[in-house]
Amino acid sequence: MKAMQARVRKLLEENKIDGFIGLKMEHGHPAPFMFSRENLGEMETLVVGDVRYPLNKALLKVSGQYPDLTFGVMVRGCDERGITELLKWNQLHRDRVIPVGVACSSELAQLCECYKPYPSDWVVGEKTEGIAKSKRLQKIEGMNQKERLSYWLNQFNKCIKCYGCRDVCPMCFCEVCSLEDRNFILTGKLPPENPTFHLSRAVHMVGRCIDCGLCEEACPSNIPVRTLYKKINEIVKEYFDYRTGESSEGKSPLNLLGEVTLELSDVNK
Amino acid sequence: MAKEAQSVPGFEPKIIAFLCNWCSYGGADLAGVSRLQYPANTRTIRVMCTATISPHHILKAFQKGADGVLVAGCHIGDCHYIKGNYMTIKRVAVLKELLRFTGFQEERLYLDWISSAEGVRFAEVIRNFTQKVKEMGPSHLRTTY
Repeated sequence: MKAMQARVRKLLEENKIDGFIGLKMEHGHPAPFMFSRENLGEMETLVVGDVRYPLNKALLKVSGQYPDLTFGVMVRGCDERGITELLKWNQLHRDRVIPVGVACSSELAQLCECYKPYPSDWVVGEKTEGIAKSKRLQKIEGMNQKERLSYWLNQFNKCIKCYGCRDVCPMCFCEVCSLEDRNFILTGKLPPENPTFHLSRAVHMVGRCIDCGLCEEACPSNIPVRTLYKKINEIVKEYFDYRTGESSEGKSPLNLLGEVTLELSDVNK
Repeated sequence: MAKEAQSVPGFEPKIIAFLCNWCSYGGADLAGVSRLQYPANTRTIRVMCTATISPHHILKAFQKGADGVLVAGCHIGDCHYIKGNYMTIKRVAVLKELLRFTGFQEERLYLDWISSAEGVRFAEVIRNFTQKVKEMGPSHLRTTY
């Protein structure tokens, strides 16, 4: 915590950044806050903890409004993947973002089943080993087709179409959302058209989902959407040998025309 | 897994076929003018390129009760827009894996390349796919919704 405060203070005082998006303890709760040179006195209230907020989403918003300013942001392993991906999608400017890393606790890593619960560089926390294979994925993959169908239909039909998963998602930056396209998704009907609603969103997570799990935390109906997107990441890895946000090289698999590496026999198995 | 689904006697599937304007639609046309016989279960939607088919369109077709969706475009390298079908194969591959994972039988979605010279092959693809979907029985979405 102190190391984080010192780092942010240093960055601000050396004019490396104009603001830092982090968490501030307020009324006993950590909440997103913009630390700047004007409120250096509040630095004591900067916290880290295990709570997670879509700070990247806040970063997208402010950096869009103030493109000439440089912002620091607190990043976990997932947030760092997000920044790498957002840079590729031209949503952020490389010279305008300075991430300050936090390594997640092993409890949080277990809870998330995160494969890399630490950023490339961190000032707080210790490196914990990631989880290679998600148990919740294995559980569903172990079911037969009928069980999977009824499992997912039951889950999807709990949806109240609040768009919480999309609104909290730090990777959802489109200005027009196809989930609000009335030609695709009927309006005035609950639950929404399933599986179209949820699978459309899942398809959009190809090469985008950084597995932060905020969608599932935001969901008021407890739909295990994270498991679905974990599967998407696995598909992307299997088919395109691409790990979302892992490297700044290459583009997202569906973003680039590129060369085709698939055969019809890979598709129509 | 699809074998488990019981075939219903007298069941005639509804199949949506997205055909690309330059190759597969030409193939369908050739099959027609050659008077080739194939089942009439397909409803054709002509698109300029298979790359214009978003996974949403495919999902929506299933949602509206299609028992099968066929996507047919030019062979790799023959695309009128150079690389349109490169996109299609990636999208369909992902979508099929996703359908498999969520238990919606992914065999109901079929991708093939049919050139405008392959009228005979077009009829054959339609025959085979119709037969396959017929054996699989009605779509779950058709019965649940």
